[in-house]
Amino acid sequence: MPVAASAIYFLNLRGDVLINRLYRDDVGGNMVDAFRTHIMQTKELGTCPVRQIGCCSFLYMRISNVYIVIVVSSNANVACAFKFVVEAVALFKSYFGGAFDEDAIRNNFVLIYELLDEIMDFGYPQNLSPEILKLYITQEGVRSPFSSKSSDKPVPNATLQVTGAVGWRREGLVYKKNEVFLDIVESVNLLMSSKGSVLRCDVTGKILMKCFLSGMPDLKLGLNDKIGLEKEAQLKSRPTKSGKTIELDDVTFHQCVNLTRFNSEKTVSFVPPDGEFELMKYRITEGVNLPFRVLPTIKELGRTRMEINVKVKSVFGAKMFALGVVVKVPVPKQTAKASFQTTSGKAKYNASIDSLVWKIRKFPGQTEATMSAEVELISTMGEKKSWNRPPIQMEFQVPMFTASGLRVRFLKVWEKSGYNTVEWVRYITRAGSYEIRC
Amino acid sequence: MAPTVPSPAKSASPSQPSGKSEVADLKQQLRHLAGSRAPDADDQRRDVFKRVISCMTAGIDVSAAFGEMVLCSATSDVVLKKMCYLYVGVHARNHPDLALLTINFLQRDCRDQDPTIRGLALRSLCSLRVPNLVEYLVTPLATGLKDPNVYVRMIAAVGAAKLYHISATACLDADLPAALKALMLSDPDAQVVANCLHALQEIWTLEASNSEAAAREIETLYSKPVVFYFLNKIKEFSEWAQCLVLELASKFLPSDNNEIFDIMNLLEDRLQHANGAVVLATIKVFLHLTMSMTDVHQQVYERIKAPLLTLVGAGSPEQSYSVLCHLHLLVMRAPMLFSSDYKSFYCQFSDPSYVKKLKLEMLTAIANESNTYEIVTELCEYAGNVDVPIARESIRAVGKIALQQYDVNAIVDRLLQFLEMDKDYVTAETLVLVKDLLRKYPQWSHDCIAVVGNISSKNIQEPKGKAALIWMLGEYSQDMHDAPYILESLVENWEEEHSPEVRLHLLTAVMKCFFKRPPETQMALGATLAAGLSDTHQDVHDRALFYYRLLQYDPAVAECVVNPPKQAVSVFADTQSTEIKDRIFDEFNSLTVVYQKPSYMFTDKEHRGPFEYSEDLTNLTVGAEATENVISAQRYQENDNDLLLSTSDKEDNGTATNNGSSASSYNAPSDLIGPPLLSSQTPSETLLINPGGPTNSLQSNFSLDDLLGLGAPEAPAAPPAPALTLNSKPVLDPGTFQKKWGQLALSLSQECSLSLQGAASLMNPQSLIRHMQSNFIQCIASGGQPPNYKFFFYAQKDGATVFFLVECIINTASAKAQVKIKADDGTAADAFSALFQSALSKFGLS
Repeated sequence: MPVAASAIYFLNLRGDVLINRLYRDDVGGNMVDAFRTHIMQTKELGTCPVRQIGCCSFLYMRISNVYIVIVVSSNANVACAFKFVVEAVALFKSYFGGAFDEDAIRNNFVLIYELLDEIMDFGYPQNLSPEILKLYITQEGVRSPFSSKSSDKPVPNATLQVTGAVGWRREGLVYKKNEVFLDIVESVNLLMSSKGSVLRCDVTGKILMKCFLSGMPDLKLGLNDKIGLEKEAQLKSRPTKSGKTIELDDVTFHQCVNLTRFNSEKTVSFVPPDGEFELMKYRITEGVNLPFRVLPTIKELGRTRMEINVKVKSVFGAKMFALGVVVKVPVPKQTAKASFQTTSGKAKYNASIDSLVWKIRKFPGQTEATMSAEVELISTMGEKKSWNRPPIQMEFQVPMFTASGLRVRFLKVWEKSGYNTVEWVRYITRAGSYEIRC
Repeated sequence: MAPTVPSPAKSASPSQPSGKSEVADLKQQLRHLAGSRAPDADDQRRDVFKRVISCMTAGIDVSAAFGEMVLCSATSDVVLKKMCYLYVGVHARNHPDLALLTINFLQRDCRDQDPTIRGLALRSLCSLRVPNLVEYLVTPLATGLKDPNVYVRMIAAVGAAKLYHISATACLDADLPAALKALMLSDPDAQVVANCLHALQEIWTLEASNSEAAAREIETLYSKPVVFYFLNKIKEFSEWAQCLVLELASKFLPSDNNEIFDIMNLLEDRLQHANGAVVLATIKVFLHLTMSMTDVHQQVYERIKAPLLTLVGAGSPEQSYSVLCHLHLLVMRAPMLFSSDYKSFYCQFSDPSYVKKLKLEMLTAIANESNTYEIVTELCEYAGNVDVPIARESIRAVGKIALQQYDVNAIVDRLLQFLEMDKDYVTAETLVLVKDLLRKYPQWSHDCIAVVGNISSKNIQEPKGKAALIWMLGEYSQDMHDAPYILESLVENWEEEHSPEVRLHLLTAVMKCFFKRPPETQMALGATLAAGLSDTHQDVHDRALFYYRLLQYDPAVAECVVNPPKQAVSVFADTQSTEIKDRIFDEFNSLTVVYQKPSYMFTDKEHRGPFEYSEDLTNLTVGAEATENVISAQRYQENDNDLLLSTSDKEDNGTATNNGSSASSYNAPSDLIGPPLLSSQTPSETLLINPGGPTNSLQSNFSLDDLLGLGAPEAPAAPPAPALTLNSKPVLDPGTFQKKWGQLALSLSQECSLSLQGAASLMNPQSLIRHMQSNFIQCIASGGQPPNYKFFFYAQKDGATVFFLVECIINTASAKAQVKIKADDGTAADAFSALFQSALSKFGLS
């Protein structure tokens, strides 16, 4: 049984039930009390998202200020259950228009009950696609294709498509201007040792797409990845062009992508859903271009003073620039005050996270910036508590740069009416977990 | 199921509407609206209904308004209907008489011209869960299954399963399973098919225990035509239904290798699916299909590595945790396949601690000659972690790696550096490790002792660490210059030492020291024994008394009891049996993997532990404490398992029961001479546990020994087989088997014969595998078709690391077997061959 969830609860941080939906009889109505007494009110919270209490297992996750708890009494499929919660939240967000929190739930609880009925029946996940559900569950109320009210606004057989095979797109869409937006979003994860050697580094990227296309278009996407290029060269029997090719470690696709064709021809072809969706995800571990180098020196001068010097170098193209650069340098708890000198940006001491926070709004490529800080510590009596230095963390965004070097080579759109489309491509690289030990 | 009847205290919560007056008010308004034909009546009703539902969610009992709600439900507004259905579904069970009122309008809605209404009504009708209304349910369900609209059919399919739970006989009498099956195999819509499969699996699995027919139906579900029917249209299914189909496929037993490859080719692209649950389900299919093909199985591991690592890195921490648990399982099964990926398991500072813990375990498992240096360096970084439990875990991990490796030189240095970090918990953990390390590698004692000697026992608070330090002081008192004086000062503070464990160790350590350096220790020994004798703790008192008498009897005997020459520990006690591990693997992609225990341990009643949920809240709180204790006790056990250990826990349990049965038996503290060593239990140590000293008969000595579980590795009363005894639970993974098979020379090759009955009963490989298992010969792979079968077996000589590997080709037509044996120790091959043949010839006779 993939999930067979017995119940789903939405709780706020105090443990009040915002929504509960019991799908099966096999758990008692007071399961939520068990969750409160055993997980929320003890230190167990945060130790593990899957916990067994009595005969039931609780799978829970926190999203903003809400706990979503799935209760199962059988040997459930955990991955499926968590994925279900994530998808359900995405669905709710698309209904509420962005935010998912306690207030949004309180304001929309009738809608959520309606949706919970549709997306899961007797504990089995059903259709969670917002595209389809929005056809017959709307915020104004149910728009039934058969009721007389909606006759002025014909909806192409909603219930027929509820379960249809091309579940992600409905027919008969018309746009005046046919546009496709492609965003390549990469996050760089780095773990660098205090000696400056890279311990671990990878890029997880995703291609987000926003389609405003009429009819049933067929799209084909070409990237500069190694396998795709080689296959193409082989098909057209011409040598691979020199230039950088990217080796993708692993790729996953949105369900609209024809995987059989990807495996045989190495091309990404698909009929896209309408609106915004995540086309593919990939992971790269080889040949990552790190956008920033960080060189910290930290000197502890006696017990009450520290000297911190951080130099950050941008190593991407000189014409590009990074936005929203934040460098967080951890300092001991007993920090009293800190004075700074920076070549650019502003720095201050944030006591709530025990860190020096250095912000640079705009950071051009091929430049460097330094911050030197003098930190005064409150001298503590008694045993010396040696300070274990947590890593320096960094946040940034670099538009028009991909750490992997991935580029879109082409995006072709075919539709039987043969309209012209406008394609927009953007690249952006963000910091994932960018950690430098010091 | 309804929320429980709320207690007054609960509904008084300030943020929520308060109880009775609110309900009365709502009733009033509903009654007022019931007959209203005003144009905005529906909007008003919506508002009131919303308030009713929100009260219900908050736990207020609104069942009093049931009649009014039903009256208001006669409306064409779908939102109103839905709210009303929800309300009725929640309250019907507690008010079966009132539920009858709703049947009418639900039945009418089931015949509505709008399929959405039909579907909703049918779903609500099935959700009433009132047994005496079943008669009204069967007809709409049966019609629903034949409805022209998919939405209705989809709901009806699940409805059949709901009906089965309310009344199994009603469901079976109406022949709904047959209708579901027909629908499953013919419906054009994928979701309807999937829901039929859900329902059928559930009905037949539950029914299988009472009816043969249902059991057969279950088998047809897993038969080739059905499985291939589903697999061929897998792309039509939604991602969730794909998980279901893949789960079905993982239970399919292919008849030959071509089928296996067909399925794998068909499903390979599923590994690229964006939904992690689909990927995991696919992995399960691959792993289970290839179990019998060692080399392909290994390739599968290589293939699934990348998708798994991607899944770990993507999604929320909870999602990556669920994947990581599976990765953990695979890593533990075949560590060497992951040894080059060690960097993927480095912890990030921001990882939650449950993720870090799994990663640490994986790093420990995959450490080998090539990556130990990097891994240990990384682990040392974590030792300074802010999160103390993780810091502890990482120190333990370093220790575990040290105990696995042959070249521990560098690791010992690292461990010793930990001692200089001067943090209480780091020092304590490290001391425990150094102690274990010394028990395995006594040759390192010089380096360690030098550092350990500098540690002041005053700085160590934790009993485990302190006990370890004291053990070392006693064991190496000849090398540590001031050992007697440190011990003496510890004895002086006897009263302040709260942990009996430490006091016990102190007793033994002073004794050991006394035998090595009598003149310097004599004083301290006297003081120790005196303190011990007046100790309030039973074990401490008894041990002191025992030492005292022993010394009185004969100091020489005392010495060989307390301070016998020790053998280095060579073998780890494995905490989980192979059988359990295999069961966990069988239940891949479920909670089993997360809990690391087979499902019967957490779903069956008898294993659930002391406490069941009852509707009564007072019970709940009492029971709650009970479980909490159990859980924390378990945790404690898990965390504090010494590295070389786990026998001590068993022994404690053993003695506890033992105590009850025989009044005279002595409660032996298991760690009399340091924690017990599984394989180096010397006779003199056993003697120590003996209650009445040397006068007691040897017989009782051994029986006690057995009760204590110390005889674990001993072969169970084996049949008078050849002089060779086999380990009853050998552990060998396919990878190692293959390596060994490649490396070892052929020891023996011969032909032998099976009994005719045996040959006749060998219809499938399983029967022989089970038979050989009962003779402690394990099968690692099997295959073939009648009349030719091929098996690979292995067995292990009891108490030794010698493995025997066997290739056995059986022709059932001629009742002959070709046997090839390879052995780590060629001299034992003959004995094993005899044993193997005798086992084989007995097959089919019993």
